[in-house]
Amino acid sequence: MSEIILSVEHVTKKFPVSGGRFLTACDDITFNVRKGETVAVVGESGCGKTTLLKAIMNMQKPTSGKIIFHGEDITQLTGEAKRQNYRHIQMVFQDPTAAFNPKMKVRDIVCEPLINFDLIGKGEVDSKARELLTQVDLPADFVDRYPNNMSGGQRQRVAIARALALEPEIIACDEATSALDVSVQDTIIKLLVKLQREKGITYIFICHDMALVSLFSHRVAVMYLGNMMEKLDGDKLNQARHPYTRALLKAVFSTDQEKNQYIGILPGDIPSPLNIPSGCPFQNRCEYCQELCQQKKPDFSEVAPNHFVACHFPL
Amino acid sequence: MLLDVKNLAVSYGKNPTPTIEGVSFDLNDGEILAIVGESGSGKTTVIRAILNVLPGGGHVSNGSMTFDGKNLLELDAGGWRALRGKNISMIFQDSGNMMNPVHTIGKQFVEYIQVHSDLDKRAAWDMAIEKLELMNLPNPENILNSYTFELSGGMRQRVGIAMAITFQPKLLLADEPTSALDVTTQAQIVGELMFITRGSGAAMIIVTHNIGVASYLADNLMVMSGGRVVEYGKTDDVINRPQSEYTKTLLASVPEIGGRRYV
Repeated sequence: MSEIILSVEHVTKKFPVSGGRFLTACDDITFNVRKGETVAVVGESGCGKTTLLKAIMNMQKPTSGKIIFHGEDITQLTGEAKRQNYRHIQMVFQDPTAAFNPKMKVRDIVCEPLINFDLIGKGEVDSKARELLTQVDLPADFVDRYPNNMSGGQRQRVAIARALALEPEIIACDEATSALDVSVQDTIIKLLVKLQREKGITYIFICHDMALVSLFSHRVAVMYLGNMMEKLDGDKLNQARHPYTRALLKAVFSTDQEKNQYIGILPGDIPSPLNIPSGCPFQNRCEYCQELCQQKKPDFSEVAPNHFVACHFPL
Repeated sequence: MLLDVKNLAVSYGKNPTPTIEGVSFDLNDGEILAIVGESGSGKTTVIRAILNVLPGGGHVSNGSMTFDGKNLLELDAGGWRALRGKNISMIFQDSGNMMNPVHTIGKQFVEYIQVHSDLDKRAAWDMAIEKLELMNLPNPENILNSYTFELSGGMRQRVGIAMAITFQPKLLLADEPTSALDVTTQAQIVGELMFITRGSGAAMIIVTHNIGVASYLADNLMVMSGGRVVEYGKTDDVINRPQSEYTKTLLASVPEIGGRRYV
């Protein structure tokens, strides 16, 4: 197994809301990211996965906890040190249309990070942009285009090219393929995997689609209401033991009619994060809920090598 | 036969090349047809043409559409008013967007019922509550007094479906009804759509890019690409024995749990 490149230690993020209350978006999240691997963070909307990503990206300071990158707690960085840290962790957003300035040409979009860090001169922009576009399998003469003259998939490739420009060690993808068609999604995933093999990039991939995640992630972390529920290897999703992970897996519609017989419907909605029940956060939707679950919040414990579950009664 | 569409073509403005062309299918009572395809393939245009709500200068330039024995292309405004919302109704991708955010859901629901019937306000209100209960929505009274932004995406979609099925339409048109939802909510809504159509005998055309959802729900499946029908047939045939290369590629790119892995 490769070395740990980033570790998230007991990160908690609370947002103040009216009435002196707090909304807990992330509650004591701990996990490690290994070099050259893909960690997928899965969960429904409102589970805190984007808040977690913002903390890792150093866009939001967590209320407590540490994020260790290269032996340093990056949440404590300020000023120039913080700015330099962005070179190593880059991001690809969900909506590539909104992520670009529509008045900038692709050439300037992909090279802007390099200019910001004084890595290339104005004269090198064109050749560098062409090189970056080739890396993401786009024709080099796309440098003259504007973002709105491209399809969604092409725009997302440009977004990846921009993220690659600084040769970061980690690329964080926030639902990077959710807005794309299935066939385009597939080619983008293949591209990400190819780049990972060539350059040893580490991905933190936020997603809500279990089936997509099963394609390419080394590790999968499942979140619910700000809590980490389960963490396991990407090729062992079928061995998931948390009732919530099972429910997520059962909610995926397949083209295989036989698998569709096992579609399970998880009743109810996610409770408001403002009044998370004491005990297990999943208790009111869990069919195996018992008295203990309502009283005590389960610990995040290792049930098999590299397989962690936060459940009193793992399946 | 409930709906018979033959050789449908739709053009926009003065553009001589039709956006969709040669679309033919038929639908019997209680049947579910799924139209799948990538964005820009013209799948939404097909169902918008059926309801005659094509945006910005879109018009049917060729073909015929017959619904319940009536020629849809010859209907006048009054004819459409009688048909839409009552015999044919539509479920949108985000039902929150089809409603006015500054009025309560109840006000709009009641208005909708009164337009299509001669019930008084009280009776319309009760009818709305009854329909919301059918969609497993807790506290329907509360929901009618809420604004769209106060509900979650799944609840809004249930309200949209409740409105669409109010007059037990013969045909439901659903445009990406679950695309904006989380996976678990999607499974709930798909289950409810199945229950409602099978229970009331309504036919449904569902437009989706989720091929899994399509193959779960539909009797017949139509694959579209670039405004043309690439493949059309029984769901089982299209999924398990696809003929065209396009369908094969599309099916191959659908991720499956426990399927292929790239790492």
